[in-house]
This record gives sequence, C-alpha cells and structure tokens, in this order.
Amino acid sequence: MTKTATIMIDDQTYQVPDGINLVDAAKLHGITIPVFCYHPKMESVGMCRMCLVELGSISVNRDTGEPDLNDDGSPVVRWFPKLQTACTQTVRDGTVVRTSTAQVLEARDNILEFILTSHPLDCPICDKGGECPLQNLTMAYGPGRSNFIYDDKLHLDKHVPLGELIYLDRERCIQCARCTRFCDELVGDDVLAFHERGRSLQIVTISDPPFDTKFSGNTTDICPVGALTTADFRFGARPWELDEVPTICPHCPVGCNLSASTRIDRDFGGKKMIKRIMPRQNELVNEIWTCDKGRFGHHHSRAADRLQHPMMRQGGEWVKIDWATAYHQIASKLKKYADSAGFLAGPTLSNEDLWELRQLAELTGDTPRLGVWPAAMTGAGVVAQVGIGVNTRLQDVGPETAILVIASDLEEEAPIWWLQIKQAADRGAAVVVANARETKLDRVTHTVVHYDYGDAVAVLNSFAARARSRRKTSKALLDNRVDGYDDLAAGLKGTRVPFADAADVLLDAENVIVFAGAEGLTLDQHRELMQAAANLLIITGHVGRQNNGLVPVWPGANVQGALDIGFSPETTASLIDEPPAMWFIGGADPAADDSQAAHVLANAEFVVVGAQFMTATAAQADIILPRQSFAEREGTYTNGMRRVQRFYAAQGPVGDALPDWTIYAQIGARLKGPKPPVSAAAVMRAITQHVPRYAGMGYSSLAHVEAQFPDVGGDDLYYGGTAYANHGGLGVQWATDAEDDSARLVVRPAQIEKPEKSGDLCIVPVRLLYDRGPLFEPSDIMHQRVPEPYLELNSQDAAHLSIADGDRVMVTAGEIQIETAARVNGHAPEGVVLWPRRLAHGPAPALFSACSVQKIEE
Amino acid sequence: MLAEKHADRINKIFAKYPDKRSGVMDLLYLAQEEYGWLTEDALREVADLVDIDPTQAHSIAGFYTMFSEKPKGKYWLQVCTDLPCALRGADTFYRELCAYLGVEDGGTTDDGLFTVEQVMCLAACDRAPMMQCNFHFHEHLTIEAAKELIEKLRVQAQPETQEDGGA
Amino acid sequence: MIHILLRDLEIPDIWQFDTYTANGGYDGLKKAVHDLSPAETIQIVMDSNLRGRGGAGFSTGRKWSFIPKDAETTYVVVNADESEPGTFKDRQLLEKNPHQVIEGAMLAAYAIQAAAVYVYCRGEFWDLAHALEDRIEEARQANLVGDDILGTGWDCDVHVHLGAGAYICGEESALLNSLQGLLGQPRVRPPFPAQMGGGLYYQPTVVNNVETLANVPWIIVNGADAYKKIGTPESPGTKIFCVSGHVAKPGNYEIPLGLTFRELIYDHAGGILNGKRLKAILPSGASGPVLKATDEVLDAPLTYESVAALGSTLGSASFILMDEDTDMVWAAAKMIHFFKDESCGKCTPCREGTYWLDKIYARLLRGEGTAHDLEMLEKVPNQIAGVTLCALGDFAVNPVLATLEHFRDEYEQYIHQPEFGPEPAQAL
Repeated sequence: MTKTATIMIDDQTYQVPDGINLVDAAKLHGITIPVFCYHPKMESVGMCRMCLVELGSISVNRDTGEPDLNDDGSPVVRWFPKLQTACTQTVRDGTVVRTSTAQVLEARDNILEFILTSHPLDCPICDKGGECPLQNLTMAYGPGRSNFIYDDKLHLDKHVPLGELIYLDRERCIQCARCTRFCDELVGDDVLAFHERGRSLQIVTISDPPFDTKFSGNTTDICPVGALTTADFRFGARPWELDEVPTICPHCPVGCNLSASTRIDRDFGGKKMIKRIMPRQNELVNEIWTCDKGRFGHHHSRAADRLQHPMMRQGGEWVKIDWATAYHQIASKLKKYADSAGFLAGPTLSNEDLWELRQLAELTGDTPRLGVWPAAMTGAGVVAQVGIGVNTRLQDVGPETAILVIASDLEEEAPIWWLQIKQAADRGAAVVVANARETKLDRVTHTVVHYDYGDAVAVLNSFAARARSRRKTSKALLDNRVDGYDDLAAGLKGTRVPFADAADVLLDAENVIVFAGAEGLTLDQHRELMQAAANLLIITGHVGRQNNGLVPVWPGANVQGALDIGFSPETTASLIDEPPAMWFIGGADPAADDSQAAHVLANAEFVVVGAQFMTATAAQADIILPRQSFAEREGTYTNGMRRVQRFYAAQGPVGDALPDWTIYAQIGARLKGPKPPVSAAAVMRAITQHVPRYAGMGYSSLAHVEAQFPDVGGDDLYYGGTAYANHGGLGVQWATDAEDDSARLVVRPAQIEKPEKSGDLCIVPVRLLYDRGPLFEPSDIMHQRVPEPYLELNSQDAAHLSIADGDRVMVTAGEIQIETAARVNGHAPEGVVLWPRRLAHGPAPALFSACSVQKIEE
Repeated sequence: MLAEKHADRINKIFAKYPDKRSGVMDLLYLAQEEYGWLTEDALREVADLVDIDPTQAHSIAGFYTMFSEKPKGKYWLQVCTDLPCALRGADTFYRELCAYLGVEDGGTTDDGLFTVEQVMCLAACDRAPMMQCNFHFHEHLTIEAAKELIEKLRVQAQPETQEDGGA
Repeated sequence: MIHILLRDLEIPDIWQFDTYTANGGYDGLKKAVHDLSPAETIQIVMDSNLRGRGGAGFSTGRKWSFIPKDAETTYVVVNADESEPGTFKDRQLLEKNPHQVIEGAMLAAYAIQAAAVYVYCRGEFWDLAHALEDRIEEARQANLVGDDILGTGWDCDVHVHLGAGAYICGEESALLNSLQGLLGQPRVRPPFPAQMGGGLYYQPTVVNNVETLANVPWIIVNGADAYKKIGTPESPGTKIFCVSGHVAKPGNYEIPLGLTFRELIYDHAGGILNGKRLKAILPSGASGPVLKATDEVLDAPLTYESVAALGSTLGSASFILMDEDTDMVWAAAKMIHFFKDESCGKCTPCREGTYWLDKIYARLLRGEGTAHDLEMLEKVPNQIAGVTLCALGDFAVNPVLATLEHFRDEYEQYIHQPEFGPEPAQAL
C-alpha cells in the first residue's frame, strides 16, 4: 500500500492508500459510512445495503488526461444514477463520494426501518445492548418510529444452541452473514450456513460436533446484533458495567492480546471477576481474533479447587502454613542443598517470575541449574540469530512469501498462527506443510511433505542442498556475515532431495518463514532441526527482514521468555538424568507430562512446588506455594515471535496466593538477597538493565499503543461494540542478530541418527489444544470439546490387530499399561501410535517407546 | 449407501464438473430419490461425497423448493397457483384437489400416498391449470382429470404399499 | 410467417437429430469451425445486432466480445432457468427444437473457445432435461460436441445442470453460484461473468438465454444482413411471445418485432377468452409493470423501445392477459407473494420489503386493509427500488406501483368497502 489515491469525500479532498475499501478509506479520516455486513477482515458482499452513498468519479479528458472542468473551475463529476454500496467499492484517484446528503440519509433510514421490521425490540434484555452496532446506528440514523405494523412482526426461536458454546437468537439475526463468512472464508471450517431463503433465512449448523471450529467465539464479536452470544457470557452482565482489563492469553506461544471484561461480582465474593474474555486488537499478533481455548479457558483463575494457602507435608498430611513459615523453611532447605538444588520454570511463569527465580537460584550458587518445562524444544541461540523479522505481519503475507510449517500440528499447538497461515494461503502465499502425518493445515496447500518420523532434519537439509544446487544461496550474506558455511556445504554435498517440488516452492519465494515444532523429535533432535532450519534460512538470505525467519512453536505461552532469561531445556534434561536432591518448581507439572520426570521427582529429597492446583507434581511436593493465576496479577510474556507483552491484574485475589516473583524475592530476602522489589514494574526494570535484548522494555514502553489499521474497536458506532480496543500496549519485539548488519551468523551441519524403532509399534506423543491440562480442565464449558481419552493407530496396523475405530484397547509400553479407546482415521503413520498428551492417560512414555496394543473384547 | 449402490451415477455426476462441489444438487436429487426425502443422514452422506460439511448440504437443500427435508407422500403433487395459472382457475382447482384428497394446503393424506403443495410458476402457463407429480408435468388439468390420475396412482401404489407394510 | 426458432411448427420431428440435420441443422457450427475464426464468429453475431432474449436485451455479440482474449479457461452457460411467471418459450425450444439450442451454444463456445458448456435447466424441467441429455449424446456421437469436434482438435463438452426450484437462479450470478454448488444468491458485480473472477468457477463466462442462442445458427448460416432484414433495425429478428392468462389461444408466438399488441393478441392469439373485454396486460411477466389495455397501448408496436415508452418493458415478452373481471389487487397480491417467496434473502430491502408488502396484501385481501396500508403500498416499494443487490427487488415493486397507478380505485374499494371485494384467495 505505497501508492496513494486522491479522493473526495463530502466535498473535501483526502489522500488514502490506493485500492483500499471505500468504507475503510472514509474511516481513516474519521468519516462514518455505517455498515452491518461489511467487515474489514472479510470480502465485501453488499448484503445489508446500509452503506449506500452517492458515488461518482472525476471526469477525465481522454486526450489530455486532465480533469474536465465546470464553468466555475470545479471538476466535472460523473455520478452513478443510483446510490451505490460503499463497501463494494475500492478507491482510486478521482473517486468522489457523498456520505451525508438527504438522499443518503433517507436510504439509511429506510434500510434501518427494514431491518427493524423483523428485529425484536428486546434491547433491555439483550447481551449486546450497550455495545450493539444496530442499536447505535438506529440511534444515529434510524427512523424515530416504524411504519411497520407491530403485529406483523415475525416471532422466532430465541435460544437456539449452535453447539454448547454459542447460542443463536433467530429473531435478532439480521442475515448479514458475517458469522458464516468468518467460518467459511477466514477459517475454512464450513460449519455454519444459511438455511431456507428470503425472510426465512436462518443460521444453522449440523456439523459433528455442532459448530465444529476452534474459532467459534469470534462470530459473537463480529455479530452486529445480539443474535450470537456465548454460553460463557450470555445473561452474565451488561456491557456498561464491565471494566476492560488488558491481558495476554497464557495458553500458547501466539500470545493473543485479550481483554478481560471484569465486574465486581457477588458470585466471586464481591471481588473483581472475569465475566468474559474477548480478543484485543493487535495487528502484529492476533489481529482481532482468538481461539476458543483462549476465550473460554479462563475459568482456572477462579476454580473452586485452586490452592489457597502455602502447605507443608507433615507425616503424610498437608498442613496449612503461613507465608513466613514457608519462606523460612524453603530458605533453610535451599541453604542446606545449595549446589544440589535444581530449578524448573513452567511455561506460564512471567518474565518477572523467571527473573526473580533466577535471582533466587543464583543465591544458592554461581551456576544454578535453571531448567524450563516442557523441555520439548530448544534453540534459544538459533532464534536469537534468525528469529522472525521484526514487525512481521502475517496478515499482509501474500504470493511473494512461502511459509514452511514443520513438525507441528499447528491448529492444535498455536491456533491463531494456523488461522493466519490459512488466510495467507488464500491470498496466494505458498505454504509447505511437512510432518510425518496428515494435519489440518495440509488442506490449505498442495505442497505437503509427509516424511518418516526421524527424517525432519534430513528434509530441511535436502532443501538446503537444493538451494545450493539451484544456486539459490545469498552470496552477499555468505561472503560477508556467515561463519561455518564451508563445513555445512561439505556436509550437504550429495544430499538426496526427495521433495524437490516443496524445496522449490521455498527457494523461489521472495520471503520465507519457517514455523518449527518438535513433533516426533527428542530434545537433541530438535536442536538439530532448529539448526537445520537456521541453515536453510541463512544460506538463502531469508533472515533479518520483515516476513522472513524462524518461528518456534514453543510448548507454552512464555517459553521464549524463559530462554531469554537463562532457563534452558538442556538443563532440564540434565536435571532428570542427574537429579538434584532438592527441586524448586514453579508453574510446571512434569509429573503429569513425563513418566521419567515423575519417577525422578518421587525420589527427590525435598521438593518445592509453586502451583495453582494440586497437580501430580504438587502432590509430590514437601512444600506447596499457591501461585496467582495470570488473571490476578500483572506481568509480561514473550511470545513465539519474541514480542514482549504486558498483562494486567484483572481479577480479585484468591486465598493467600501470591505472584511467583513476590514469593521468590521473599525467599531470596531470607537468603541474604536484596530487598524484594515493590512491583512487577520494578522487576521488569531490573530485567531491562541486565538482559540486553530487553533493554528499553520498561512497562511504559510495553504499554505504548499506536493507531492500527483497520481501525476496529474504537468508540465508533459500527465496527465497535466489543472489547477490541487496545489500551494495554502493543508490546515490543526484540531484534535478532540477523537484523544487525554487523553481527555474524553461524551455520553448522545438522544431523540426527534416524532413530531405531524398538518394536513393531512405537509411541509418538502429540499435543492437543483441548486437553486436560490443569489450566484448561476447570473450564467446564469446554468439556464437551475435550476428546475422551484415545490413542490413534494406523489403519493397517489396526487392521492387523483387528481393531476398529472406537474399540477399547489395552496399551502396554514398558511399565505403563492403560486402557483406552482406539482412534483409527487414517492419520497415524504405519508403526506409530499417536499419544495425545494430557488426555488423562498419565504421563506420556518417551518418544518412540515400544508398545503393544490389544483389543479388549466386550 | 449411495456410494456403493449408485457408484456409476455418482461418478458420472462428478465427471461433469471440474469441482466436486458442483455435484451437490445432483447428489441431493439422488439421495432424495433413494430415501424418499432428505434425512439428516442423507445430507451427511451427500456432504461426505462432495467433501463439504453436512451444514452446507443442509443449506443447499433448504434453499430450493424441490428438495424436501421432511417426509413426503409417495406422490408429491405440486400445483402451480401463480398468476397466469390462477387466471385460468388454478386456485379453484387446487382447492378442489385438497378437498378431494381431504387434506389442508401442504398436507399429506393419511395413507401417506399424496402430499399436496402450491408452487411458483412452472413455465407451463399456456397449459394451465397444471401440476407436477414427482417432477413430471400434468397439464391442461381439470379436477376430473386430476381425480382420475389420483385413482390411477392409488391403484399403482397398492401392491407396493402392502409389501412395505403400509410405510 | 418465418419461424427461425419454433421450427417444430413446420417440422414436428425437428427434435430428432436426423430431421434436424436433414433441415440444415449443425450447418452453422460446421461453417464456423471450418471457415470462420472465433473472432469472425463474434463479429457476425455482433453485426446481426441480435439482442439477448432473457429480458435485458443486451447485444449478444458484444457480450461475447467482452471475454478477455488471454483467458485460459472460459465457459458458456445456457440460462434455461425459465422461471418468470408467464414465460414458457425456452421450454418449448428445448423440448421441440433442442438441437438448435445445442448448436447455438456450441457456436457461442466456439466463439469464445470455451472449455465446456453448461445448460442450467430449472429443476422442474426434469423430464425435459433428461431428454436433452439424450439429444446432447446424439450430437456427441456425431462429433459435434465433445472431443476433437469435427476433426478440428477443439474439445468442448455440453453438460446439463439441474436447478431445484429457485426463481433467483435465473439471475446470472446466482445461477453461477448455484452451478458451483453454492447457495443460489446473486454475487456482487463487478466483476461481471465475462470478466476474470466473475464467471463460472470465477473464469470468464458467457451466460446466454436459450432463445438467444437458438437464433445464432440461423445468423451464422444466413449472415448478419439477412437477419437484420427481419424485425426492426434496433430489434432485428423474430421474438417468441408467450401469451397466457385470459386468452383464447394461450401459447408461444414467434413473430418479428414491430407488430402491434393488437395483432399479437387478437390476430395471433385469438383474442380474449369467452369474448370478454381485455382489461390489463403484463407484457413481461410478473416483473414488468402492468399496462391498462387502452387503444393507445393496443396500437403500439411491440419493440423494446415502444413498450418502454408506454411505461413498461418488453423483457422476455411474456404476455399475461387479464380480462374485465380480473381483480387487480388480487393479481398484484399474487405477484407480490411470488416475489416474497422467491426473494433469496441476501439483501435487506428485498428480503424485508417483499415480506412487508406480502403482509399488507394479505391484510387487504382479508378485508382488513387500512388507509395506512395504502400509504405503505406507496412508500415501501420506493424503499426497495434501486437499492437492492440484484434486479429482483426492482421487479418486485412493479406489480404494486403499476396497479396502484392504473387501478387505484380497486385498492380504495378494498379499504373502504371490503364487503364488495371478492372471496379471499386461498393461495394467500
């Protein structure tokens, strides 16, 4: 959008980006063209006819190219004889529009009168009342009274469940099709549609389960009336009672900006309570969307079974203790174990927590062991070199860009990135999906690479080899800034390229983004995968620029922050291999995730666990510290694209729970550490002083907000009505080495031994979005979406074992034996049993553990 | 299942179009022919064949008047009562037809044989009054001619109805 | 009398392949593929000034010429979704002279080098559509359709697509959606079907009415000049008039444009049923304004221009005639009910407006109408007209506004003396 167009709106001249939508062009200059069906994130459909305007263009003399002039010197305007819908026009030089003439105002009045003939006047009991575009626009432009005879009004069903999450009020629906188009066009889940026709049009779903998409909640935001409401919020509160608190989703590495709509509530002991979660606009992160896990998965913050007090184990019993006792006990244990203590940070610890945990750990010795959990992925150094370019906007990515997603089931692991990549594919971006099995992302592209588990690194190496043989390497970069290329080149020589087409898709693109997960990879293998990805990006020059670089699909919201602050997954691995006598664990549940970790913890001498719930890990503790959830406190998370983002305290306190950083600082103070900081902001100040990448990221910089395009969620009458407005900050993204022209970039050969399969069938753990993890389980509203426990088998393997989809099976892997349901749907590769993590099976066995599966006869 | 029973027809349908989705209407007709009306299971089957969500098949079925998502009589009588036909007595014809069958507008006879409906113009205005019976046109109708047709259909249906146990 | 189209009147068996070819059938196609370039084919049709017979009357040759020359894939779609009340000409053509339609479609396909032809038949043409498939197969067997047509290396197959009962699918963009297996609702235009992004599967597409295409073989064989000698200079050729309602001989009449209303109704169609007096004429089905049967009207020539001058439109030339006993409020109610039923619901004014009007007419016919209702009958149509997504909204207001203009007294009677109104129609 570099070219500008000169247009006239209401007789004033304006400069706007050429080719943008007329409604948006007007909005850029504060001029309202009201809409219902138009949405700046979707294709125009011209359905509601609310945006009718007088439209014309300046008449240009064909020979001279100059505008024709009237006698008074004004340009001649050729007007359309009839009103036109602004939403179906794109602006170009000479576009002329009148938005508030008598004719236009009458048309708006007429359209509103039509819409209101069928719309009930139940604003006083409607959830949308107070933030409703129809209500707003009726007040602004509508008829004072209707000519329509009230008795002629249609009466339709008012509580139609579209599944258990979203309810439809058929009377309120104005058939704008925003919801169906969102599902169909933006998400590609065609699970919502119109039924019947004419005045009988109604929204329906018969998908299984109903309204089967992970993004359903977004339809309630974009619904311009109260037709779609969430089961979570409906009848919960009035919008004008709500205090919007900016927050960040704690569930995945995308780091969706959210708004917690809060109210002092009787149901929460008269404390501030989260009534709903809405997306908050950040065009550099989640735009205006969030997934249903982010939206509905907030109930953990006020679950009844949250840990409320510090507790100590005494003779097999839990005894409530006060904080001072807890601090004292832990300090003395840390003193005692000193060098033989290990520290483990979970993925929802904020940067402030991580910093204070590190400060505490450093009081016990010069080189404390700082591990991060889950320890499934690594590559901090690689990310620091070639992480995705600053200010990348996935929603701008088009045909010039190729996106490789490798070893990740992205919709399950980072739904909004999945959504943005799907839309990028629609805009023409070349998407390459590489995994050992089919995932939902496969459907957005023709370029799918299905390798054998264990071959992920080889695939990337082959792409790099192809880059060399096709001379697609970046000479400028290789000559001036890259170390280790000769070694790498030597290693790549003679590499077979089995997926040349996929390689070429990447090599022929102007920009390349790689999303890397860790499915089917051990930690050591994943280190090689990240290096192989970095090699490819560096030698082809796809680093250090916007819309280029590497995005790790971290297994949690703040894994990036943990790495930045000095926690490492390799340390975690060493902690499990050579266990410390004392464990200090914050916000992690290794005992539930990993059978080996569970075993090690059971044998530790002393275990301290900071937790929200009595998790499997907390159950093994000697002292439990009740930590606050993301909702009650402030802090910062660093997302998978290295954007550091603030969240604010939205909810009243629960019991005696405290923020982790406070707890750690207090213990530290008892180990002759410094005086505890007074606020999270003060901790962040310390981080900015000591962690070079975080320099300048004080709380006020992180809270900075700039105008965003498209401008939705302001106090306007037509896009607004939800909590999109961002008052909490857009965050700050730290720059990689690649972005610094003087920094050296390092490549080296990446190699893994292809793992030997230890049996006919082996286990590959995979991640699910809807699992039974402790931060999701308390959201009862989502329970129907969490699958019953199952393991997934390859169809041929299942056939050999006479197992059909849905059969009960007994699975034995080493000492683990579980009974579960078999899922056989053609997605698991031969010889592999997919083991969804955190689905109530207990900790997953190690990758590629041999297993046997037997059908349980009824 | 349609896929097994009508594999040839389904292949022929898909062969007509570069995009499978275009086959959805033909397949809905096929399913309707097979099951009598478009049950939710039928919609799911069609959706599966076309590779769309069942919701989309439901939507298409609901938009057009020739698809029925409700059970119909064995004979589906659709009488045009639009203006050109009405000018030639279609309203009266329709009223008499309903009376003869003993049903209300849109109703189905107790024996499940006949469903009567009014439809919009069928492009046979020059041969009014007219109706379609299971999509076949019957034109230049009088109520007597219609009665004759109905009795003929009743007789035709009889052996089959007995075999089906009156379904 | 020349029959270019309804040739079955002279040759009843012309629907048979052998009869059709024995009478010059497919000569046009043979001539085009052997002797004419696609561009020359378009030029001849353009020179003939053939105008679309679906209602809008746009130049067929120009429509073809809009297809981008660099388009890789193009389609021809035959609009056989004939659904306008009072229209039944395409059905007769497809039933009685189907090969001529196929040939016309193939000529269009040749002119734009289409990848395929789709004949979108309304679903109710069930029997006809299945018979048409047999006719296409005959042409395929004769190498006139399908692969390597007449040995020229040009491949183009013809397929029949059945609609399923929706008037709106006669609107070309809705038709294309329906053909793609989407909801049959109109698209935003531009892009128009001939443009990139606007046609079938979003590829440039020519959408022509059945009758339009049936003219093309004759034009290719006999030349543009010969065609222009028939009819009037602005509207050359013959036109099929569908005459229905209170008429002695309902049916299709193919006559050159330019005869008078009177000639059509009294000379050709045998006058009014039972010798009654003619009261009103709908010259283009339910969607065009009704005309009062005055001498001025009856003596006017049947051309697109003169009917427009009378305040109506020739459209698809579907003449619904109403005699002196016809209740015009009832007739308008019938038509409004039609449009309410057929509104696709996509855009607000049509969806809500037709529903509203239908409610008012129902109340009038029940004898419960009020002065407010009459006011609304004047106001609501003006809220619909000109602001809808497609033309259906504009069509829908015509029955109201035109009957109000010519027969206001009948409305007044409904409101002020409902006891003199006719029996309420059960249809409503």
